[in-house]
Amino acid sequence: MSGLIQQASGWMVAARSVALLLVPLLYAAAAVWAGTVGPSRDQTARGWSWAERGAAAALLLSAMSLLALVWGRPLSVAAGLFIADALSATVLLLVSFIGWVIVRYSRTCLLGEANQARFQGCLMLTLATVSVVVISNHLAVLALAWFATSVALHQLLVFYGDRRPALVAAHKKFLASRLADLFLATAVVLIASTEHLLFIDQIGARAQALASSGALPWALQLATVLIVMAALLKCAQLPVHGWLIQVMEAPTPVSALLHAGVVNLGGFVLMRLSGLLSEVPAAQTLLVVVGSTTAVLAALVMMTRISVKVMLAWSTCAQMGFMLMQVGLGAYELALLHLVGHSLYKAHAFLAAGGAVEQARLQRLSGPAIAAGAGAGAGAALSSAALGLLLSAASVAGAALLWGVPLMQEPVLWVLSFVVCLALVPLLSAQAMRVGGWGSVLLVLGSFAVALLYFALHHLALAWLGTAARPQPNQPGLWAWVVIGFAALFALQTWIRSQPQSRLSRRLYPWFYAGLYLDEWFTRLSFRVWPVRLGSSTVLTSKGF
Amino acid sequence: MNAPLHKQLEASLQHGVALQRSVDEACARIAPTWPLDQFIAVNPYWGWVDKPFSEAAAELARLSGASMWATRAHHLARWKAGDLRAEHLQAALASTPTVASASVEALTHALHQAAVVPPQLRLMTDLVDAPRDLTHHVAWRDFATHQISQHCAAHFDRHQSVWGAPQAQGLYATWLQQMQGDRSASLLMAGSDWPARVASLPAQPEALMAWAVKTLHVPEAGMTDYFTALLLSINGWASWCAYERWQVKLAVAQEAAPCDSSGAVFDADALSNLLAIRTAWECLLLRDAPQESLDSWRLSLTRCVEDVPPAPHDAQVDALLQHAAEFAYQAPLCRGLQQARQPVDAIAAKFQAVFCIDVRSEVFRRALESTGAHIQTRGFAGFFGLPIAYRPLGCAVVRPQLPGLLSPSHEVTDVSDDASLGQVLSRQRQRGLDLRTRWREFRTGASSGFSFVESCGLFYGAKLLRHSLPSVADAVPVEQTGLPGARGAASWRAAMADEGSSLRPRWNASAAISPADVAAQCDTAANVLGAMGWDAAMAAARLVLLAGHGSQSANNPHAAGLDCGACGGQTGEVNARVLAALLNDAQVREGLLARGIALTANTQFLAGLHNTTTDEVVLFDLDLLPASHSADLAELTQNLSSAGSSARAERAPSLDLNVEPTAAKPAQLFRAIKSRANDWAEVRPEWALANNAAFIVAPRWRSQNLNLAGRAFLHDYDWQQDSQLKLLELIMTAPMVVANWINMQYHASTVDNARYGSGNKLLHNVVGGRLGVFEGNGGDLRIGLPWQSVHDGDQLRHTPLRLSVFIEAPQANIQTVIDKHAVVRQLVENEWLHLFQIDPAQAQISKHLRGKWTVV
Repeated sequence: MSGLIQQASGWMVAARSVALLLVPLLYAAAAVWAGTVGPSRDQTARGWSWAERGAAAALLLSAMSLLALVWGRPLSVAAGLFIADALSATVLLLVSFIGWVIVRYSRTCLLGEANQARFQGCLMLTLATVSVVVISNHLAVLALAWFATSVALHQLLVFYGDRRPALVAAHKKFLASRLADLFLATAVVLIASTEHLLFIDQIGARAQALASSGALPWALQLATVLIVMAALLKCAQLPVHGWLIQVMEAPTPVSALLHAGVVNLGGFVLMRLSGLLSEVPAAQTLLVVVGSTTAVLAALVMMTRISVKVMLAWSTCAQMGFMLMQVGLGAYELALLHLVGHSLYKAHAFLAAGGAVEQARLQRLSGPAIAAGAGAGAGAALSSAALGLLLSAASVAGAALLWGVPLMQEPVLWVLSFVVCLALVPLLSAQAMRVGGWGSVLLVLGSFAVALLYFALHHLALAWLGTAARPQPNQPGLWAWVVIGFAALFALQTWIRSQPQSRLSRRLYPWFYAGLYLDEWFTRLSFRVWPVRLGSSTVLTSKGF
Repeated sequence: MNAPLHKQLEASLQHGVALQRSVDEACARIAPTWPLDQFIAVNPYWGWVDKPFSEAAAELARLSGASMWATRAHHLARWKAGDLRAEHLQAALASTPTVASASVEALTHALHQAAVVPPQLRLMTDLVDAPRDLTHHVAWRDFATHQISQHCAAHFDRHQSVWGAPQAQGLYATWLQQMQGDRSASLLMAGSDWPARVASLPAQPEALMAWAVKTLHVPEAGMTDYFTALLLSINGWASWCAYERWQVKLAVAQEAAPCDSSGAVFDADALSNLLAIRTAWECLLLRDAPQESLDSWRLSLTRCVEDVPPAPHDAQVDALLQHAAEFAYQAPLCRGLQQARQPVDAIAAKFQAVFCIDVRSEVFRRALESTGAHIQTRGFAGFFGLPIAYRPLGCAVVRPQLPGLLSPSHEVTDVSDDASLGQVLSRQRQRGLDLRTRWREFRTGASSGFSFVESCGLFYGAKLLRHSLPSVADAVPVEQTGLPGARGAASWRAAMADEGSSLRPRWNASAAISPADVAAQCDTAANVLGAMGWDAAMAAARLVLLAGHGSQSANNPHAAGLDCGACGGQTGEVNARVLAALLNDAQVREGLLARGIALTANTQFLAGLHNTTTDEVVLFDLDLLPASHSADLAELTQNLSSAGSSARAERAPSLDLNVEPTAAKPAQLFRAIKSRANDWAEVRPEWALANNAAFIVAPRWRSQNLNLAGRAFLHDYDWQQDSQLKLLELIMTAPMVVANWINMQYHASTVDNARYGSGNKLLHNVVGGRLGVFEGNGGDLRIGLPWQSVHDGDQLRHTPLRLSVFIEAPQANIQTVIDKHAVVRQLVENEWLHLFQIDPAQAQISKHLRGKWTVV
């Protein structure tokens, strides 16, 4: 009987590896097929059919491989050139799901556009290379696939090649990505030349072993820092975030693909390398500092944005910062949860961005005073927020208690729960409670449910990642940094929302409205170092830059 | 000593007057654009209708590079397809007297050649850009546009950002304040003296203009053109500012406060402020302009003024081709209208159905009429003549439900049959909306978003899946949010009726109304019925259907543009229901009797909504219909449903639906059209008013036997009932103008989408929740229709033709209205539309040509 089970499980492992490999192959096949069809309406329709079939099959396979993983849990993870563990299975399912959604969406909305075959080919190629990054267990393969992703995506970003702003944004992305590739390549060479291994699981194990017997060699440490810097560049962290904000010059589904898929890869790669990363405090510190700074500043800039897509882009920038910060803090399970949740949310937000007018109509139904959330005096606003904070702290603590989360023993969790406390305030402030009756009850219950859900998902992610989760580093300075950073964000936001005409709000506004001029510096630098070629399209036909 | 000073003063005063006049004239050239949630069609050339069409085209080409003519390639394609023929070219030549060298051969030759682009007035930004390497650097023109655009967006935004720009006095003052702190120009574009240049700008917009004219040495004769060109270079935001101005004018006419229902105050000076901003940019760049080009530039500002007409030969060719294309459309239509014969023994129809004049109604009306002679249809403006604004139950917002030319004089709101229930529902909804606001703050808040995606992000996976799968759900108006049954989507109306909580939009919010109110209601009812062509046929009908219309699309920023333009870019539901209730009301019927209109219990009015995307008709307030009419209702419902099937089958080929053959499988086609309407990726949910070309003001029998292919606005009019010419005057000053606005919006979005259309829907980026869209990151605000609304990827779906108006009435009557109204005169005589008269006596059609009637 047990032999039978063993046999079945073994079969499943084999099937899983094959299934995993099939995913990029399917995408690649669809890319070749769809990318080479002719320009007629029938031909592009056929191309889309193939693309859609390929995406659906890939989705099915990744779902199956995830299910297989759930069943075959006790077995060791299959690792060779490719790896089928909880992390890759989850992210692969995510990528193939969003890929499927985007292919279907693109098929409809691109109807009648020129060069659809090129779009199809590049879209499928991007998905193929992303899935290789996701399942790769070899650092060089991963680096190459990541590079290829960037190249394929670039073609999508300049899909409207006569738009000067598209070219400028894509060029900035090109520069940032090539710099990242350079860092990554250097890291690969460093690791390969000093440790003579490139399989990621082995690198992790080696790092653990080396760390337990003393310090890591400098080459490995440097390589880790370089990889982190590559991730920061590719995750559009300040101050090289500009390209991410300005890629609205490509069709909506491309924005969705970028913001929900490709930009996450930096976080994913660091999670994949968590064995190594956990042993290099310098790299972790870099991640936490840059990530949390980006999260806080980008969130403030987001508040000032006047168009829906650009607002979403700044939100992505902030969210990426938060995810990288979680990686730096060693909370890999939460980072994964963040990656998945944010991807789904942001894909939806971009694809549904045309609904902004309907959202505004809804806002207008409830009237201006409530919509602005302002009008109260400074004292009232602050005490309203204070009450909210109290209530939300109670509900978060209650939820943690219910789930038996050892907040006190895990400072990182404590720090991140603090962020949840701040988050729930809009639902629980005194101003919100003024709705009265069942409305207030609903708000309290709702925010408690959110807190419960948060810890439930945390548990789930922890159990799911299993051995992948590492012990968290002991860095009280970083924890304090994060707590202070987000507390400041919260205080500033509360003040600005309630006192928009105060001196502080008016003083700060121009700076955040201008994105702190960070992108201007980067653009100026990039125009000097490696100027973009904008083509000869006349000024008049392409307004804006 | 005193004399020179006095003279100087006088001169400067005169100069100031001239300056002010130039500013006013330039501002008057800009047509307004409405916000996206009330996106009605506007003739973007409205400021130019005092000039002949071709002259306006020449001026616009010179001032902004815009083209008002269809491309030669478009004409050539029609020529090759045989739609445009030599006889049409001949007719165009014959009707245009001033052409010396033109011949049919010359025109056919011209078809194969691209039009010559006339030289365009250069702005300072262009002078500065001319020597720069624009393949490697951002153009100043683009940079200035972007900067102004971003500033305007922040200034006017009320719904997107949660941290708004500091409010100061006026658009220019806030801009100046922003510029003084701004460093992006110095970082990206300019030299180190940039802050000093900005510091030199005067603080007041008027002072800036005076200073600019002096600094730039703009000759007085060239000021108006120069200012117009400047405004046109930022036409999108100029149009928004013109909208603010328009609203102030409407409010002043009504003696109301110039603000919208959310409390935002409209700014009449925004447009001149915008001009000051754009002019300031010119001054800022003056120092970078090549000195040698300045003199010739100044000369060019005046030169054009002195020798504008005669139009160059090439532009005349375009005008002739345009005329020919219009002849090609008009000729068969004229024949068809002439051949119509009035039915001698009209059968008294059991059902009368009144539809909006909208071209989309034509297809459906034809289908409905074909279900039997017991149904007659009529065309009337879809707001049914009600001067109302609508406040959804318990909401703060009030939205106008009438054409943008008018302002509402009465507010209607939802009323529940049970007053206490209404209060409960109102409270519930306010609470519901409140909770939604909180949730949105949690979802999008700067410090909440992180935890939101971690706890609730997974749910969006389900949303993505749901949106990716086909859905045949019904349209649910956003105004239903927070009301019971609204979430179920499928049949919220039925759910509400079941709960006995029917809400009905009504003229009066309370049951107790004063006699004066009743009298006012009766007057309105009598006026509307009169305008609708109240006659014996209508008096004898069992049911009179008042059908408003609305559309159904998902994820569409321009959705309101598909709804009823006569209802202010909303669906016609509210107007139809309010009017039907008014006309069924016993008190009103009594009052109508006193006004000579006898309505018996035999005649019941019924409100409906024609879904123009799916060709369904929803009927309202059926529970109020007397039992005596239930058999009639059943029959009418049946007729409407079969008419829907045939209308869908007629439209299907234009929609790229993979249903073959469309006529054979109505259920399948219906599902396909429904799921297309609900598809969040669909960029062409329906063709709306694309290809509109004619406006026919005549009794229905005149056009009934023609297939007008959804290209004609139809307004019923019987001149014999209109001895005072009141109706004709109304039709020619309101519906005809609205039709011109629609026609020219489509025209402009087709022939010059870059300037008067909103570009590619795949790049649309909604600004300020409702102000408009950017195409991509930024640039100017985009007005008009998306390219996808007029083009299917292979060919244009809108043929750019000026509206052909046909009126069946004596020439003298029409002439009287033309003579009385300057607007009508301008539209007709300046060829912004073609006016035809159908002679009631002899079935003969004459065209109004240069002030005279010529038999066609």
